[in-house]
Amino acid sequence: MDRGDRRGPPLRRQDVLDIEGVSHVYETRHRRVEALREVSLSIREGEFMSFVGPSGCGKTTLLRIIDGLTAQSAGRVVFRGVELTGARRDMGFVFQDINLLPWRNVRQNVEIGLEARRLPAAERRQRAIEALRMVDLEDVAEVPPYTLSGGMQQRVGVARALAIDPQVLLMDEPFGHLDNFTRETLQIEIARLWAKLGTTVVFVTHDVDEAIFLSDRIALFRGRPGRLTRVIDVDLPRPRWEFNVRAHPRAIEMREAIIEYLGVRADGQG
Amino acid sequence: MTIAAGPVGGGRRLRPARWLEPLLPIAAVAAMLGAWQWSGRYLNPILISTPTEVGRDLVELVARGVILEPLAESLEEMVVGGLAGIAAGIAIGVVMGRYQVVEKVLSPFVNFFNATPLVVIIPLVIIWVGISQKARLLFVFLIVLWPVLLNTLAGIRNVSRGYVDLGAAFGLTEAQMLWKVSLPAAVPYILAGARVAAGLAIIGMIVSEMEISLTGLGYLLITYGNSFLTGRLLAVVLVASLFGVGNVLLLRWVQAAFFPWIIGSAADQR
Repeated sequence: MDRGDRRGPPLRRQDVLDIEGVSHVYETRHRRVEALREVSLSIREGEFMSFVGPSGCGKTTLLRIIDGLTAQSAGRVVFRGVELTGARRDMGFVFQDINLLPWRNVRQNVEIGLEARRLPAAERRQRAIEALRMVDLEDVAEVPPYTLSGGMQQRVGVARALAIDPQVLLMDEPFGHLDNFTRETLQIEIARLWAKLGTTVVFVTHDVDEAIFLSDRIALFRGRPGRLTRVIDVDLPRPRWEFNVRAHPRAIEMREAIIEYLGVRADGQG
Repeated sequence: MTIAAGPVGGGRRLRPARWLEPLLPIAAVAAMLGAWQWSGRYLNPILISTPTEVGRDLVELVARGVILEPLAESLEEMVVGGLAGIAAGIAIGVVMGRYQVVEKVLSPFVNFFNATPLVVIIPLVIIWVGISQKARLLFVFLIVLWPVLLNTLAGIRNVSRGYVDLGAAFGLTEAQMLWKVSLPAAVPYILAGARVAAGLAIIGMIVSEMEISLTGLGYLLITYGNSFLTGRLLAVVLVASLFGVGNVLLLRWVQAAFFPWIIGSAADQR
């Protein structure tokens, strides 16, 4: 089992995102919830990084902080040497709830981030179709999103994030609502896309197998307040869709270690 | 003590046989008409007339063209006053939804007018614009305005958290968020407001024709009522209720033709 050593794999790549001592406290009228405590982590250029942990450990909160959707209570997020404040236009976000707009067709949904950048209509259209082609959905470009299956809808969500040509792709439990078969298909699709595009990905999940299949490194979160307590290198060969990762002895060893470390049983994973 | 374990309230209701189901409402109306007709043998026709007499009077009113001019007058009032009220309601609702300052300033007045039974301002309307068609239009406008305004505001304020995240994550400006996300998301609320408004517009139309200046269907109702011409009176009542049916059908068509996603996306969420 790897150490939580962040010096990392032999391929030395530059850090794109530095998370420095980030803490977050949610304050509501009724109570005060400490969601994250002093998390520090560096994410490298082109890396596939997953945040794994049980619900309520702050991993989604950290993802939202990286994208500027939630303002952290303390600490900094530094992107290519510049401290981030406010929402990020150059990061693509994929939501668990997808959040497609039903009054727009698939292509128009994919164009929304391009409209924010005020690109001309023809260019928007072209880039949206290109993004849809990447997830193999150009055939349904002009169709209302609610006529698609859940898996296809989430591929639209991915295309929408890819259309803005993001520096970093942030994915918040994107396959959480999907059935197992669809989920595995999409995992392979994401692995292929990432291999092709080389975009830095930060991926939140509570599915350990999913994280092992996809990631270069896995950051483990636990406790309330959530802390990042360990980072694991996933030293499995790629491409991983060419063999049965789940049956790979190294993967099995890793999964057992992660599950034991997080203090949850394998069958307790949702 | 025993407590029923079965479904409580809204669980099971006695259902008619399948073949009987569509026939029941028709049979009920036929029975009512029959009873009404039969009552004519015993009751003074001035009280409730009879269906055949009402039918005959209606045909006569139409054939002799007596009803055409009042009908056109009433229709114009309802359509012009109603549409202006709906448009203004949406516009003010949007501005209040967009600018919290405006909302805070206007909300006491809006709530006041919404709570007031607006017939009480008829004398005031007459003082403002005199006894004229303008006064009747203004009254319909004022009675229609509030439900549309409040529903529009509620729709814009209740935009889902997911859509707010979407706008922030993809960098929409406040204005883009309003036009591209919040306002379309508020359409189901606005249509619900318009349904209420459509009913109120008819009431406003008839009341203003009775109370401000005797014209239109209101004039016919008063005239026939005062002359104890119950058959004709009820024929006009029938025409007025057709206005209601027309409005319902029109709004249903508007939703199906321009906002098919409302039903589509609702079915999707099931």
